[in-house]
Amino acid sequence: MGSRSGLGVVECTILEALGFLGAQPGRRFRRSARVLAVVEDRIGLAPGYAYEVLVDLVRPWTMPLLLVDGQGNFGGRGNDPAANYRYTDSRLSPAGQVALAAERGDLAPVPAGLINGNVYREGTRPPFRPRAVIEALRQVIRRSRVTSKDLIDIVGPPEFGNGCTVTGDFAALAAGRPAVLRLQARVTVSDDYGSVRIENFPPNANPDETASSIAGRAAMRDWAPRHPGLHRSARLPLRDIRDLSSQARGTDLLVCVPEPGTTAEQLRDQLLDVYGVYTTVPVALPRPLATMIRSWARAHGTEDLLASLAALENAIRVQSARG
Amino acid sequence: MFPPSSTTAGADDRLHPARDHRWHQGPGKSAGAGWPDGKYPVPVLAAAILAAEGVSFLLVGSAALWLHGEPIAVGDADLVVEPGEQNLGRLGDALARLALRPRVVPRVRDFPLLDLVSVPTSYGRVDCLLERGRVDWVRLRQSSVRIPVADASVLVASGADVWALRRQFKE
Repeated sequence: MGSRSGLGVVECTILEALGFLGAQPGRRFRRSARVLAVVEDRIGLAPGYAYEVLVDLVRPWTMPLLLVDGQGNFGGRGNDPAANYRYTDSRLSPAGQVALAAERGDLAPVPAGLINGNVYREGTRPPFRPRAVIEALRQVIRRSRVTSKDLIDIVGPPEFGNGCTVTGDFAALAAGRPAVLRLQARVTVSDDYGSVRIENFPPNANPDETASSIAGRAAMRDWAPRHPGLHRSARLPLRDIRDLSSQARGTDLLVCVPEPGTTAEQLRDQLLDVYGVYTTVPVALPRPLATMIRSWARAHGTEDLLASLAALENAIRVQSARG
Repeated sequence: MFPPSSTTAGADDRLHPARDHRWHQGPGKSAGAGWPDGKYPVPVLAAAILAAEGVSFLLVGSAALWLHGEPIAVGDADLVVEPGEQNLGRLGDALARLALRPRVVPRVRDFPLLDLVSVPTSYGRVDCLLERGRVDWVRLRQSSVRIPVADASVLVASGADVWALRRQFKE
């Protein structure tokens, strides 16, 4: 792990490779195959493996702090995979450039790993709001007596960045105990009360699979005549489902139409319990959250952390402005 | 501080004001007959569907405790599956129909070699404890009870056995 950014070895090496190739923000993209060749040269990781991580660093739904800008087909959230690395391009994002500068020692350390977590690669550390983590670190640096409660309040619960609702035992998580988070897509009744809209899918849900499973749950089963009561309880009263996702806008939207005799509200309530519309993620922090934040600031206390935090915040602002 | 707990409805209303919180609470001592409005935690429905598909298994874990009337959050369906070629064949077919990704269901001919088959379905995760079935089926079956779920019947391990398994593997 990069000790000055908290990022994983492969993530750091990808950033180094992009920096080595001169793929800075605002400059021209480099073919991903070239980037991965540098990664293989440095740590011996075959391109196929490293590309999976590179794709994660580009996709806006995987982590709150995007470290790499991508050009080309990096795939969708459904069953559409990224194009081969011979056909995609990448370069450092502004936040990636700050993280790389921290790793190189040109800047004081930045909490990129703390912000992004690693659940996107089936780790247990969840992501947090970037600006909240930065603010908590600022408070530790400026006010040595800031309480753990204050820090936890500032950081807030995990946030997955795509608008899905997160519930769970946040107190346990903040205390360093394992917890299970439930991530819920936004499920709303349409303005005309005729259908139900599902959007803001959890990052670990596949909208294509969810659409298939919703349709499957509306189908008649072989055992339905023998168990009509179970069929009524388990079946979704669905007349139609439409996938109105727009790859161009990067949004995923399913519209479900209830069958006659069922209101959209009733269908909405049942859809909330479909796995895919919600998902679960086991999470755990290696130490209590407040301790992690304090020890991060203490470990790098002699460097100009406020300057590096300001640089990271500015990079986030630039990326947000670009949408 | 963060809200205290996920298992209490409305615990995190500060963050999520609407009907977002849907961890299933047990129905109390009237569990076996289901909720008055016929609503069951979806993992319990997954177990009932597998039973309706003709798969022979014993329900253990949190779903079993819920059916025994324990006030517990049901996260998934844990099944101790009866060993036997035909039953494993029915299990494989049923899982393929329920799975979010049918291709993640292992081949039926590999089931006798596997300890656990874990399949995400639209009713939540279904964990099939195949090794436990090979080792303990006869013993667990003796003290099991049948509990109705809607108009299907699910074989559920006794409360003592469920707690014993939980202590053995979770604590």
